[in-house]
Amino acid sequence: MQQVFGIPKSMKKNFRYTFCPGCDHGIAIRLVAEVIDELGIRENIISSTSVGCSVFLYDFLDIDCVEAPHGRALASATGVKRARPDKFVFTYSGDGDFASIGIAESLHSALRGEKISAICINNTTYGMTGGQLGPTTLMGQVTTTSPTGRNAEYFGYPIKIAEHIALCDGTAFSARVALDSVPHINEAKKAIKKAFQTQLDGKGFGFVEILSSCPTNWHMTPEEAHERIRNEMIPVFPLGVFKEVN
Amino acid sequence: METNFIFAGFGGQGILLAGTILANAFMIEGKNVTWYPCYGAEMRGGTVNCEIVVSDSEVSSVHKQDTDYAIVLNQQSFDRFVQRVKAGGTIVANSTLVEETRPRNDIKYVFVPMTKLANDLGTSKVTNVVSLGALASVCPIVKKEFLAKGVEKVLGAKKKDLIPLNMKALEASSEGAVV
Amino acid sequence: MTDNNEKVLIKGNYAIAQAAVNAGCQCYFGYPITPQTEIGEYLSGKMQELGRAYVCAESELGAINMVMGAAATGVKAMTSSSSCAISLMQEALSYASSDELPVVVVNVMRTGPGLGYIYPAQGDYNQAVYGGGNGDYNLIVLAPSTVQECVDLTYRAFYLAQKYRNPVMLLADGLLGQMMEPASFGEYPYPEVDVSSWALTGAKDREARKIYSVATDEKKQIQHICDLHRKFEIIAENETTYEEYETDDADIVLVAFGSMTRNIKAAMKVLRNKGIKAGCFRPVTLNPFPHKQIHNLAKQGKDFVVVEMNMGQMFKDVKYAVEGLSKVSLVNRACGEWLSVEEIVSSVENVLKGGRQLTASL
Repeated sequence: MQQVFGIPKSMKKNFRYTFCPGCDHGIAIRLVAEVIDELGIRENIISSTSVGCSVFLYDFLDIDCVEAPHGRALASATGVKRARPDKFVFTYSGDGDFASIGIAESLHSALRGEKISAICINNTTYGMTGGQLGPTTLMGQVTTTSPTGRNAEYFGYPIKIAEHIALCDGTAFSARVALDSVPHINEAKKAIKKAFQTQLDGKGFGFVEILSSCPTNWHMTPEEAHERIRNEMIPVFPLGVFKEVN
Repeated sequence: METNFIFAGFGGQGILLAGTILANAFMIEGKNVTWYPCYGAEMRGGTVNCEIVVSDSEVSSVHKQDTDYAIVLNQQSFDRFVQRVKAGGTIVANSTLVEETRPRNDIKYVFVPMTKLANDLGTSKVTNVVSLGALASVCPIVKKEFLAKGVEKVLGAKKKDLIPLNMKALEASSEGAVV
Repeated sequence: MTDNNEKVLIKGNYAIAQAAVNAGCQCYFGYPITPQTEIGEYLSGKMQELGRAYVCAESELGAINMVMGAAATGVKAMTSSSSCAISLMQEALSYASSDELPVVVVNVMRTGPGLGYIYPAQGDYNQAVYGGGNGDYNLIVLAPSTVQECVDLTYRAFYLAQKYRNPVMLLADGLLGQMMEPASFGEYPYPEVDVSSWALTGAKDREARKIYSVATDEKKQIQHICDLHRKFEIIAENETTYEEYETDDADIVLVAFGSMTRNIKAAMKVLRNKGIKAGCFRPVTLNPFPHKQIHNLAKQGKDFVVVEMNMGQMFKDVKYAVEGLSKVSLVNRACGEWLSVEEIVSSVENVLKGGRQLTASL
């Protein structure tokens, strides 16, 4: 019998799955692992990790990792890459880490055209701390810190991360993808691969924003959560490639 | 034995450079020396100063209140630092820009038309080096031979062509110009 | 600039920068702030010229975290800043201590609290020695007193950081940063430390490495904190350095750190000429602090006068070391004009007459 699907080689052996049931982090990390396998770069990777649910990346991937304080993953990654330009350097953060507390580090890494790849999981909330209003929380969304829903008067507006990153001259690739359906998951993998290839080609900063579900904090079933991505998130955060330097 | 010097004048008069040349001269002579510039709030109003402390043993404090020698290239600096010369100390002033007054009786005054002497050499830019020559003629521990080496060191290879002019500037106040 | 034994007249800030180059610092990340901006200015050109890394960071947060990332790969990396901006780095220093990353941070102190101003001061002693970040940790803190020591202790900072995998802070001040003195660089005098057992280089032919401080297991965390403290005990045993001058017959010992050392040495001579048996004691490592040595002097019945440009920060450490065995007085000013030799002499005479300690007046 031929094996057609398996655990990617760059994932650790015998890891314990620690995300909530239905969480899309599992899919995103698997996609990253598959891309690492396909590009054959596992042994050359140094990753700077973030703080939030995304931090658990290092429990799943069999790669060298250095921790960064909350929001500083892109600064840490800059340090790694500048120290070892021959290494493959990527970050994997949530929207809070990347676009709220860490927005200065993120934007400036893109502006400097750091040859690193950044993945940002956008699930419109702070997942690890139990679902508070974050930089990407949608208008009207109820969170534990916006109990009557996000309104502009009180809370301001969500940030469209991939578009902002695309505006930076140092950015070579910026895309937004989603994990709500198989076709979208396939697109997501392609985008991750392009962002990684961008670094391998020495073109500049590569970025992928991934719209992901957080069923626990959204108080939804996994199916409902994916419908929410489709019906509520994608209209606000349109999918697509916003910048690609050839 | 510790001696200290303050150079003061307008920004652009080469005050910090004059101090740097003097400090280099002392270093070349094998003495312990520290150079300290004014910075920040002290620099407001366009005046600039630096302090040089030279010692046979270790240099203790810089940032001193008073000084053995003050070399002042403009009126504002004269007015300010004449009060900070130690009793028995000396103020060397650029009489082209400083009025020849003697507000205290317990210090020595040396007036040299430094800017004029520099202009006679073709450029006011060497006023600072003229002031060093003037200092050497009244301060026994400042030696012209080492000042000359200090000039060479500071100007370096890049500005080698300026060395002859600066050597003339160093000598300009010797020829009876000290009042 | 030179890297041999010839003496050059050089500013403290430039001396630190060139010493970092000589020490093999591969990466510098920084953000401007007076009175240490010359360090970054000097290195910007130098590092490019040498094919090493230099980044004008977006902030001090960015800078110190870049240093951590670089240090994690085993290269020598540093940042420099001053007081209020060093505060921005405290979170990262706490992480770096737990992660055991060999980062080197230079603090050319100005006055605080808050923005303060660019006058020189010594008000960051507590922050450096006791830590401004969260948790139980120790920085190695070195305090130079001359431009030559800016060179020597920068070399030592890079060595100790890698030898012990511990962050090191070079605690200088605006006075040292801005002054020029003759200094010689020589060669970097320490052996290269083998970092291959822990540095991140990619998980090739070995298990993947993870450098982190997350501690979800309480027992492991207790062990980790204890290990860090055991390590610092070893550092204290091996690396505590200090200078003593004429303490043998002294009745009263002046204690200072950093550039104030110069003034107490001069004051000591004046006091001796006046027939007062004064000595000097100067910690070179502020952390580890030479408690034992000060305690031993106290046991011999010597009194102490701590002279510093803050409101009495090291004063408390000296008192702690003395353990009530003798009298400890404070002569200080909050910031700005360094206490002059004359002021120190008259204050010590006042203390000897049983007068109150002189405090912080203008």
